[in-house]
Amino acid sequence: MIGILGSEWYKLQKSKAIFLLFAGPIAGLLIGLVVDINLLPGEAINKWHLALLSMNLNYALLFLPLITGVFASMICRYEHQAGGWKQLLAMPVTRGKVFIAKYLLLVTVILGMQILYLGSVFVVGIVHGITDPFPMVIVWKSILGGWIATFPLVALQLGISIMWKSFAAPFAVNVCFTLPAILAINSDRFGPYYPWAQPFSMMYIGGNTEDVFFIPWDQLLTVVGGSFLIFFICGYLYFQRKAV
Amino acid sequence: MIGKLVAQDVLKIKRKGIWFLTFLGPFGVVALQMVNYGVRKAYLLQQSDDDWAYYISNVSAFSPFALILGIAILTSFMASIENETNGWKQLTALPVSKMAIYLSKFTVLVMLLFLSSILLALFSLSYGVFLNLGDEIPYLELLKYSIYPFLASLPVLALQLWVATVSKNQGIPITVGVFGVILSYSAYVLPDWMIWKWPSLLNQWNEPMINVLFGLTFGAILYVIGMVDFMRRDVK
Repeated sequence: MIGILGSEWYKLQKSKAIFLLFAGPIAGLLIGLVVDINLLPGEAINKWHLALLSMNLNYALLFLPLITGVFASMICRYEHQAGGWKQLLAMPVTRGKVFIAKYLLLVTVILGMQILYLGSVFVVGIVHGITDPFPMVIVWKSILGGWIATFPLVALQLGISIMWKSFAAPFAVNVCFTLPAILAINSDRFGPYYPWAQPFSMMYIGGNTEDVFFIPWDQLLTVVGGSFLIFFICGYLYFQRKAV
Repeated sequence: MIGKLVAQDVLKIKRKGIWFLTFLGPFGVVALQMVNYGVRKAYLLQQSDDDWAYYISNVSAFSPFALILGIAILTSFMASIENETNGWKQLTALPVSKMAIYLSKFTVLVMLLFLSSILLALFSLSYGVFLNLGDEIPYLELLKYSIYPFLASLPVLALQLWVATVSKNQGIPITVGVFGVILSYSAYVLPDWMIWKWPSLLNQWNEPMINVLFGLTFGAILYVIGMVDFMRRDVK
C-alpha cells in the first residue's frame, strides 16, 4: 500500500499538478484583496470573519468543487496515456488498493490546498490591516470542514475520471452538479441535502459554533457520509470491473 | 477547402456528447430559473412591475457563466479529440494548411455556441410564455440577451482554443477555464478591461453594445495570435 502511494505521489509530482495546488489559494487571495472588507455590511465581532466570508463565497461554492474534479482527472492522466492502466495493473497490486491509494492521495492534496488557503486568508487579513485576534478555532473548523465536505465529490470524480479518458467529460459532469449549488445554498429546504452545496455550508462561518463543525452532526453523517459511501463504493466496484 | 474541413470536424464530434452539451447548457440555465420561479414565483413577480424584464435579468444572471463554462469544456473536447488519437500529426500531414485546420476548429465551436445562444432564446421564451409574464413579449430583448453575451465572449473562446490546442495536458486549459468561471461569477467587481467580465454585458457606461464591440475586436485579435502561435509550433 505504501509503495502504491509512493508511486502515485511520484507520478503526481512529475505531472506538474502540484502547481495547481497554488491556484486555489491564489484565486482566494485575489478575491480577498479586491473586495474591500471594511465596506461590507453587517457588524461582526471579529473582522477575520468578514475576510473569510468574502473569500469563501467564490472559493467554497465554485472553486473547491470544480478543482477536485481537475485533480481527479490529473491523477488518472498517466494511466490513460499509452496503456498506462495495463502497465499499472500488471504489477502485483490489487485494483482495490490502487483505487484507495489514488483516493487517499487526492484527499491529501485537497487538504494541502485548504491549508494554503488558510495562509491566503491570513495574508488578506494582514494586508487589510486587521488587528483583531486571529480566530484560530473557527478558521480551523471552516478549513477542515470544507475539506471533509469534498470527500464524496472526490470519490465521484475519481470514478468518472477513471471511466473517461478525456478531461472535458468529467469536468462537464462536475459542472452540471456544481452549478445548482448556487441555488441550493439559498434554499433552506434543498441546501442541506445537496452534496455539492456542503463545502460551502461547512466553510460558512456563522452557524452554531457549539458544534464541532458548522453543520449539524446528523446532516454531516447522512448527506456527506451517505453520498461518500455511495460514490466511493460505486467507483470502487466500477474500477474492479473496468476492462483495461 | 475550409468547407470540407468543417464538415470533417462536425463528423468528428459526433457521439462524443458535444451536441448534448450544446443543448444542455441553455437548457440548464433556463432550468435553474424553472426551479427559482417554481419555488418562489409569487415573491419574484412582486419584485418588479415589468415581469418580463425581471425574468430576462434573472436568466442572464447565469447565462454568461454557463457560456464561459461551455467554452472551456467544448474547446478542451475539440483538442482532446486530436490529442487522444495523435490526430494532429495525421491532420497536418494532409494537404491542408495549419491555418485552415485552426480556422475550421474555431468555426465549428462558433457554430455550436451560436446554436446554444439561439436555443437559450427559445427556451427562455417558452418558459416565459409558460409563466404567463404578460402579453407584450419582448422578443428583441430576449434575442439581445442571448446573442450579445455570446458575441462578447469571443475573446474567451479564442483564448481557450489557443491554450487547449497548444497544451498536451488538458488540465491546463481546464484550469484556465475554472479561473474564468470564478472571474465571471464575480463580474461586478472586476475592472472593465477583463475579458471574463464582458459576457455579463456590464460596463461603466451601462451600454451592452460596447462589450459586444470589444468582444468582436479582441476576439479577432486573440484569434490571430492563437492561430499564429499554433502555426509556428511543432506538431507533437
